[in-house]
Amino acid sequence: MSDDLAGLVADRVGDRAAGWDVAGELPRDLLAELGALGVLCAQVGVEHGGAGLDSRANGELTAAVGELCGSLRSVMTSQGMAAWAIRRLGTAGQRDHFLRRLTSGELAAVGFSEPGAGSDLAAMATTITDGGSGDVVVRGRKVWVTAAHYADLLLVFGGYRGGATAVVVPADTPGVRVERVPHPSGCRAAGHAGLVLDHVRVPADHVLGGVGLPLPLVVTAALTYGRMSVAWGCVGILRACLAAAVEHTGGREQFGIPLAGHQLVGRLLAELYVGEQIATRACEHASASWDGGAPEVATDAVQAKYVASRAAAAGASHAVQLLASAAACDGHVVARAYRDAKLMEIIEGTTEICQLLLAEHVRGRAGTVRGRP
Amino acid sequence: MTTTSEPVAEQVQAFLTERTRQTWARDTDLFAVGGVSSMFAMELVVHLESTFDIVIAGPDLALDNFRTVDGMTALVLRLREAEQ
Ligand SMILES: Cc1cc2nc3c(=O)[nH]c(=O)nc-3n(C[C@H](O)[C@H](O)[C@H](O)COP(=O)(O)OP(=O)(O)OC[C@H]3O[C@@H](n4cnc5c(N)ncnc54)[C@H](O)[C@@H]3O)c2cc1C
Repeated sequence: MSDDLAGLVADRVGDRAAGWDVAGELPRDLLAELGALGVLCAQVGVEHGGAGLDSRANGELTAAVGELCGSLRSVMTSQGMAAWAIRRLGTAGQRDHFLRRLTSGELAAVGFSEPGAGSDLAAMATTITDGGSGDVVVRGRKVWVTAAHYADLLLVFGGYRGGATAVVVPADTPGVRVERVPHPSGCRAAGHAGLVLDHVRVPADHVLGGVGLPLPLVVTAALTYGRMSVAWGCVGILRACLAAAVEHTGGREQFGIPLAGHQLVGRLLAELYVGEQIATRACEHASASWDGGAPEVATDAVQAKYVASRAAAAGASHAVQLLASAAACDGHVVARAYRDAKLMEIIEGTTEICQLLLAEHVRGRAGTVRGRP
Repeated sequence: MTTTSEPVAEQVQAFLTERTRQTWARDTDLFAVGGVSSMFAMELVVHLESTFDIVIAGPDLALDNFRTVDGMTALVLRLREAEQ
């Protein structure tokens, strides 16, 4: 199933990813088509029009998309994270309603980050307040919301009734302004945008769960999906880099032999290969935790994202070195990988925030650095 | 199958003891004493789900349901009841 969907995406993407990167734009009709096929949030169950993949199969699909186009994979991460947040934080009625919309061609984006709340999401200042007559009022600003440029539905996190939750804001609601990030350095066609939410009124039944929930739980629940998706996307970046590096160094000759025959070149190929393997294993481990209902899944997702994004940033750098001038132009798969990969160390918890979370995790288990029983 | 509170509470206590290396009375506020990080709160949710074959979503994620062993026990019993 995951292979079928990956083949379908490869067919639709063809050789167009380079052009999308240079133009900074994905074809919206393609996104809507993939959305309606359930590809963009493939873990949504068949009962809601989704592909019903498990985390592992969706991970392989995400890696396959990430290998082709980091921008499309970013859109997929947003759509999947929105779907997961609705599934986790929403009521049964909200799941039935909104998940079906997300598998019918409507696109979604997820906003946590704010001008004053990047790594420190507890500083979020966006508010959702009961507005009377069955409405709520949303006020605040969000920054760097991936896919917001394309989105029909904006999943906006904010404070609500003494706690926090997310509210589904249709992008065409009066008071919503979507301001595109002009020239993102990576995932250039992913449609990153800031949101200005000026007294935006939406029906109260758009507030996920309908009650104030603990912010740390709300954020961790949503980000755990996002981290899995980014991590698998980084595996895709590494696979793209490995393939390009193997092909190039096997074909081009300098000093009378193929580049790959030079030992210093071989070392970089080896490191790239090991990076891909380690990232894949970390992702497989986290997906197994997800699919097996292991309590450690949130920590394993942090670990996978941490390992895979660092491996991707290092691996892409090696690939640029190996291809040299051949990859030194925008749009080239390795040039895209290099720019995209570094940003993967920033989103869904920076490398440093992941380190803090992992350190907290081991400290909480003083003296019991455990393997899985 | 009906579930009574005693075995559920014991199971939750055993999990907490294993993970935090300390014992917890049924009415101690886990969050008040700073014993719980956001990662651990998520661990609790997933552990309860897979151990008791329930889904904890939406309003059931309210903090009060996870504050104490008694709170989690009541949540588990209520969701199991609703499943049947
Ligand atoms: C490509 C891209 C896509 C994104 N998509 C989305 C999206 O869809 N939705 C969304 O809500 N947001 C999105 N973001 C925003 C992203 O989540 C934030 O950029 C990220 O959380 C970091 O916040 P910041 O940029 O404000 O950096 P800051 O928090 O200001 O951090 C700056 C530096 O300080 C370090 N730092 C901060 N605090 C600590 C600490 N306590 N200890 C040690 N080091 C620390 C950081 O690790 C980092 O190196 C996106 C960002 C990018 C680049």
